[in-house]
Amino acid sequence: MANDESWLDRFVNKLHKKPKPWFKYFGAYILVPIWARLTPVKRLPGGARPAIQPGDNVQSMMNLIMPLKRENRSPIGRAKAALAIAENRDQIFAGLDNVGTVHFARFVIVNDNICMFSFYDGDFTNYIRDFIATIGGAFNDVVKLVEGGDALIPCEENVEAFIQWIHEHDLYQVPDTPTDFLRDQEDLNGDKAVSPVNDDLTLLPRKLVLQLRANANVSLGSGYRAYPGFSVAQVRKKLELGW
Amino acid sequence: MVDASVARRLVDEMIFNLPKHDPGQRPVHTIGVGVDAYFTASDVAHKYCIAEHFSGERICAKVRFSNAPGGPEQHDGRSDVRGMATRFLLPSGAATDLIATTLREFFARDVDDFSKFTKLDKHEPYQRESPWRKILDLLWLKVPRRDPYPGEKTNASAGILSYANQHRFAQLAVFEAKMIGAPVSYVRAAYHAIHTFIVEGENGVRRPVRFSWQPVAGVRNTDPDALPDDDYLRQELDHRLKRWPVRFVLMMTIGEAGDAIDDPTRPWPARRVRVIMGTLTLTGVPKDQATAGERISFNPWRLVRGIEPSGDPILRARRDAYEVSRKMRGGTACPFSNWSCADGE
Repeated sequence: MANDESWLDRFVNKLHKKPKPWFKYFGAYILVPIWARLTPVKRLPGGARPAIQPGDNVQSMMNLIMPLKRENRSPIGRAKAALAIAENRDQIFAGLDNVGTVHFARFVIVNDNICMFSFYDGDFTNYIRDFIATIGGAFNDVVKLVEGGDALIPCEENVEAFIQWIHEHDLYQVPDTPTDFLRDQEDLNGDKAVSPVNDDLTLLPRKLVLQLRANANVSLGSGYRAYPGFSVAQVRKKLELGW
Repeated sequence: MVDASVARRLVDEMIFNLPKHDPGQRPVHTIGVGVDAYFTASDVAHKYCIAEHFSGERICAKVRFSNAPGGPEQHDGRSDVRGMATRFLLPSGAATDLIATTLREFFARDVDDFSKFTKLDKHEPYQRESPWRKILDLLWLKVPRRDPYPGEKTNASAGILSYANQHRFAQLAVFEAKMIGAPVSYVRAAYHAIHTFIVEGENGVRRPVRFSWQPVAGVRNTDPDALPDDDYLRQELDHRLKRWPVRFVLMMTIGEAGDAIDDPTRPWPARRVRVIMGTLTLTGVPKDQATAGERISFNPWRLVRGIEPSGDPILRARRDAYEVSRKMRGGTACPFSNWSCADGE
């Protein structure tokens, strides 16, 4: 920033702010694995956090990433996934209507993953239980295309296993604040802080990098909501949309 | 009530930490600019709060934007917190203030925390980190310390970081302050009132709330790698307001049972109900800055019927500390109300 920099200062600053490809490669493929080995990081669980406050129990996010089976990782496999959703569209939408606590839901194909993103009210387990009970066999056509899905078929008869499987494929939701992210790590790994606390906030970047190595796909923050705090039932009632 | 001697001590501690201090000026947020404005409440505001400025009538207002540091040195382009203090001049002749900063949370829960913080928040020599140390940081997957700004010989970052490392409640505010950047304009930043207030609605329902100003022009910071300009914010605002008015939307977030009501270090979840309470329109930068901002003594406790302070100890301490500071610099007491330090209880 100042103009009394030596060539070495300039070189190092550039390394940091505009790294050359070789340094990016060195960081990604050498430094990060070394630190991952020295300071192992566990995978953080996915899904919305359990909460007792009313506002935290409406408009929760589910970000379900289901990797397609190896034999389906091709345009043909992705077309099969698209077809499985299209053919069962009426059943899926009717099921979501019957669940009654879902604000929005959509299916997306990203690379070789079929994803379901939704906003729902209430408890996650009840949502999935109601979902699979009302959709019945329609979801089997989707699940049979994805890794680990065969063990769940028929889904409507393997409800608990299905709920667990969905939970495992639901993305970790990075908290809205960086310090809550640290607290998530401490909760998972056991807080090793001595009393008095003597943390090192400068390690936050490394902790984030290593966590994103363990959880390659994450949801960033709790998301934006134009009208937070209202359930499907409240919105429908207020807008006189009936039930 | 905070002991007057405690308020005095808090102000003295802040002044003691300043490299330079003019007794006739504010000990913090010294550099600023006053702006003329008016506020118009939204259609729903009065349902949630019966305070006079939410009645829907057009309310004259005075706004003072500021840089957080104390002392006469102006460094607009440095990454730091900014302030937005608003005085609503009510038709009844009373006045009420809303004081906000670009920081979403505070770093102290109470007066004791604040006192401990100020003991570490001391300016120390600040030099460029050696390139070898930076390389070591990069190898440790840390972000190297930023280089000093031109002319920057001291700062308080080491003490503040040390405080945050020892006090988890302070970590969020300290982290966000470190990342905050410099706005391209005072009106391209969002401002948060930090504390919880209790508002009373038309139906007598009392709700805990927190206020934020959202800039209609959007939030935008300067390039952090560019050489910072020490003096641009006032001129930018002046030029902007000569061309067209600028607006902020007042958002009110409603807390729930279990949310941190009395603790300004803890944010509320993003999933709380938000209500648009009104629009503040900035109209111009008056030439007489003494009247427009410098002589106004804002106080977060200057409230009117319909808005009450929560039990937040920092909010309570600010009431008395602001008053002590006003008296020390010979500031004018609010001419629009009979409010005084002792009336707050």
